Amino acid sequence: MGQGLGFQQLRKLLLEQDWEDRKELAQKLEQLDSELNTREKLEERVNPILQDQEARIQREFPVLFGPQITESIKKQIKESQDEVVEVLYPIIGRMIKKYITSEIQKLSDQIDAQMEMAFSWEGWKIRIKAWISGTPQKDLMLSKLIEPKIEEIHVIEKNSGMLMGSYTKKEGLDRDMVAGMLTAIKSFVEDAFETEAQELESIDYQNYKIIIKSFNSFFIAVVCTGKLNAAFKDKIDDELLSFSEKVLNKAKHPDKEEVQPDVIEQGLAEYFQDFEDLNE
Amino acid sequence: MNKKVILIGHFGVGKTSLVKRFVHSQFSEEYITTIGVKIDKKTLTVDGVIVNLLIWDIAGENSQQKVPKSYRLGAHGALYVFDITRPATYENMHQEIKALQEVMPDLPILVMANKKDLVSTEELNETLSKIQPYNAIATSAKTGELVNEAFEELTQKMTK
Ligand SMILES: Nc1nc2c(ncn2[C@@H]2O[C@H](COP(=O)(O)OP(=O)(O)O)[C@@H](O)[C@H]2O)c(=O)[nH]1
Ligand SMILES: [Mg+2]
Repeated sequence: MGQGLGFQQLRKLLLEQDWEDRKELAQKLEQLDSELNTREKLEERVNPILQDQEARIQREFPVLFGPQITESIKKQIKESQDEVVEVLYPIIGRMIKKYITSEIQKLSDQIDAQMEMAFSWEGWKIRIKAWISGTPQKDLMLSKLIEPKIEEIHVIEKNSGMLMGSYTKKEGLDRDMVAGMLTAIKSFVEDAFETEAQELESIDYQNYKIIIKSFNSFFIAVVCTGKLNAAFKDKIDDELLSFSEKVLNKAKHPDKEEVQPDVIEQGLAEYFQDFEDLNE
Repeated sequence: MNKKVILIGHFGVGKTSLVKRFVHSQFSEEYITTIGVKIDKKTLTVDGVIVNLLIWDIAGENSQQKVPKSYRLGAHGALYVFDITRPATYENMHQEIKALQEVMPDLPILVMANKKDLVSTEELNETLSKIQPYNAIATSAKTGELVNEAFEELTQKMTK
């Protein structure tokens, strides 16, 4: 027995440290286990690392993925060029048209008008009349100008000259033939001057002015009378662009490329019926 | 349904006369010289379907090579017209039709052998055998023979 007790004691002496270590180890394991298996606790540890990574990816995104993304966008554009052009045309058209052409035109119109009025016989007549009659000079000036008016609008397929839809206030010439003639005039002029990039924008015919707005696969011809000022043209531009965006896209079957004339005609009527009334 | 039809063929074969026979022209001849093309319209009913033919006729003197691209763009059918009495107007027909088919592979094309009234049946048959494998409808813009039929046949081809 004495030996037994001695052995026990020896064992205790030798292994006590071991026990302590093991207990500590077990505790550490438990803690680790809980940290790994409790989401919040794991997050506490891992989040800073993930956040670092995220910041790095954000920072280096263009370098890491740029080439692949550019490649895939390029491919998509290449494979669906027509759609892309159709979408971009109105936007580019609006931007360029609005900010360059018409602004400059407006400015020059203003200067012209002012110069003309200031120095012309008409200007003096109006001034005298206004002074005698007591009517504001501005009103007299306005009535002097011939009001610009839209007579008819045709939406025409560019290649074939087929009429896709039209809007007229009064029935006149055969619309299909007008569409064909306009297409012929337009494309023959463009052919004759070999201007691939430039397109005919207007035709003056007696007291009509035909404004032509080109899109990718179709063009819109607006037949006007009266004196067209830049503001009027600008407004036509705006209406045509939003008309083409909203109505023409809707007029195309989602599956087929066929265009429904009645949708176009309704749309044209809707957009242009009260066009002049909205003037100023 | 609207269809664009173009007329091709050498100068003087009778393209303008054939169109005049087929439709009542609305636009004056002036247009031809000013813009190089005349457009006419005729409505046909083929197999119960109403078809508006918009017929494009080119101004004369130019050789076919000079025909502007826009003339044939978007065409739904073509009439190739030659003059039975003038071999020069059909000698190059094969190449000319082939060239057109290269740019517009599925375009229905109908060949018209015009001025039938000026030749005998033997002369006509001889000419028709020369242009094989193409088949032509022998027409006369002067008498009106088979003119409507030719346009109708092309319309049928286009609506198929
Ligand atoms: N005898 C006859 N003359 C024709 C016929 N078709 C056209 N012509 C004549 O041929 C000439 C040229 O006709 P035109 O229609 O101007 O030919 P295009 O240049 O092809 O348009 C004119 O003098 C016509 O009167 C036809 O079927 N028979
Ligand atoms: Mg002719």
